[in-house]
Amino acid sequence: MPLNIVVCLKQIPNPDLQFQIAPDGKDIKREALNYKLNGADEYALEEAVRLKEKSGGRVIALTAGPKRTEQMLREALAKGADEVTRIAFDEPAAYDVGKVARLLAAAIRTLPHDLVLTGVQSDDLVNSATGGLIAGILGLAHASVVTRVESKAGGLEVACELEGGLQRVYSMALPAVLTIQFGANTPRYAPLPAIMKAARQPIKELSPAALGLASWDAVSLPYTFGVRGLSPPAAKGHAEMITGTVEEQAKTLAQLLREKGFARR
Amino acid sequence: MIAIGRELASRSGGPVRVALFGEKVRALADALAGHGVEVLLAEDPALAEYTPDGYGQAAQSIVESTRPRLILVAHTSQGYDLAPALAGTMDLPLVTNCLALRFDGERIVATRRLLNEKVQAEVEIASSRPIVATVRPGAAKAAGPAPGGIVTSTTVRIDGSKVRARFLSIERPQVQDIDIAGADIIVSAGRGIQKKENLPLIEEFAKALGGVVGASRPLTDMDWLPKTRQVGQSGKTVRPKLYVACGISGAMQHVAGMKDASLIIAINTDPSAPIFEVAHVGIVADVLKLLPATLKELKS
Repeated sequence: MPLNIVVCLKQIPNPDLQFQIAPDGKDIKREALNYKLNGADEYALEEAVRLKEKSGGRVIALTAGPKRTEQMLREALAKGADEVTRIAFDEPAAYDVGKVARLLAAAIRTLPHDLVLTGVQSDDLVNSATGGLIAGILGLAHASVVTRVESKAGGLEVACELEGGLQRVYSMALPAVLTIQFGANTPRYAPLPAIMKAARQPIKELSPAALGLASWDAVSLPYTFGVRGLSPPAAKGHAEMITGTVEEQAKTLAQLLREKGFARR
Repeated sequence: MIAIGRELASRSGGPVRVALFGEKVRALADALAGHGVEVLLAEDPALAEYTPDGYGQAAQSIVESTRPRLILVAHTSQGYDLAPALAGTMDLPLVTNCLALRFDGERIVATRRLLNEKVQAEVEIASSRPIVATVRPGAAKAAGPAPGGIVTSTTVRIDGSKVRARFLSIERPQVQDIDIAGADIIVSAGRGIQKKENLPLIEEFAKALGGVVGASRPLTDMDWLPKTRQVGQSGKTVRPKLYVACGISGAMQHVAGMKDASLIIAINTDPSAPIFEVAHVGIVADVLKLLPATLKELKS
């Protein structure tokens, strides 16, 4: 059965970097950050493309973010998405996951969708909330932390990861929303010709009006949300550091291991 | 969560109730009531196994009948399956993965961690509707026993025809490998080892200490090591005498699986890596340079 798949992607600052708090304390300093496709979303994109390759259908990659996210959407095209759409929501940090999920849900309503995929979490805000919110808002079936998806007659069989290495297996009806776990597959590299082609493909842009809104501030929310402030986390404790050159550090470490009785001789 | 609920309730002056869903879980309900709370026990054959729609309907039913100000859910793979969908279905505010929660007048203020634990954020939500919040495991000390708890049997409405994800089975990992949970010494590798070809160095170091090799999630995801070697929330919880974290940043999921080791030595090039918060001994160094030099020292 051909599947219309929407995969929701997020561009995030590389979390391996070090971060500084902006002077107003409400965001990190964003001037010199490098951005990447969120880790779990890479697996969601790959799963979407694999399902399409097996069952037929189309993959639409969707994001809500500023202009810079176009680079990520081109990467998605090069890796097998058929079309890409950017909700032109320009808030750089977008701390309110409820608002972003409502925008994504509104856009998904306008797209054919048998299946909506997204990553299990974004590595910047770590909410693990977008997929579930979209499912609830759109009234779709859902499953989270998915490590395996198989297309079956009339629906899907999915395995969801629990703590301690256990997996729970469901049979699911479509349409559905799945959040895909790290390691669910091996994401592909984009071949060069596909990268060249993606550079010329159009990116559909949705303005507030396209989603029936007067402005991005006009999203109807059952609450008010605010960031009070960001801070470097107070260290709970800190390791005793071994300093010096690598040789000096090695000497101290070897000595410590011997003293504690861990070195074999 | 009961501890956090009791604390918030004592400050706001309202009651704290625990909703328990399942089938034949009366004994668990009694145990929970021993923490001095009212347990709303909803038993139904449709709740014998967790399903997103079955438990979602049960949660919705309880929220409608009790109209709480705050709904706490554990930030576990099951909890963050349930809570966001509940918030979306009922059009409720949501804040997830909280380390702490407090009331400030009409608002709820949540403390969260962002960007690989490197930034702490305080966010506030105000609403006339019940607020859904998920709480990170270990965010508070578990609640002790307290008097005054009761179990109240409750009926929830579950429409079986609207359970769209049907439970089939639980799969358990097949163990055909050593069990790292029983090891006294674990040397774990993370992304900092850069290439699969560098694993023998980790193995050699583990062998020199009489230990076994563990891994952080990215390495088992890439199949550099079998899933059975993964330390962390979704893998093994270990309590060895010595844990050496090699090139592991120390994400919450990993730390949850190794924080109780007697001695933790962390090696990482990033001085701001959160692993240094839980480690007893830290070394800012490239593990690919430090381990060979240390092996040389140990042999001399």
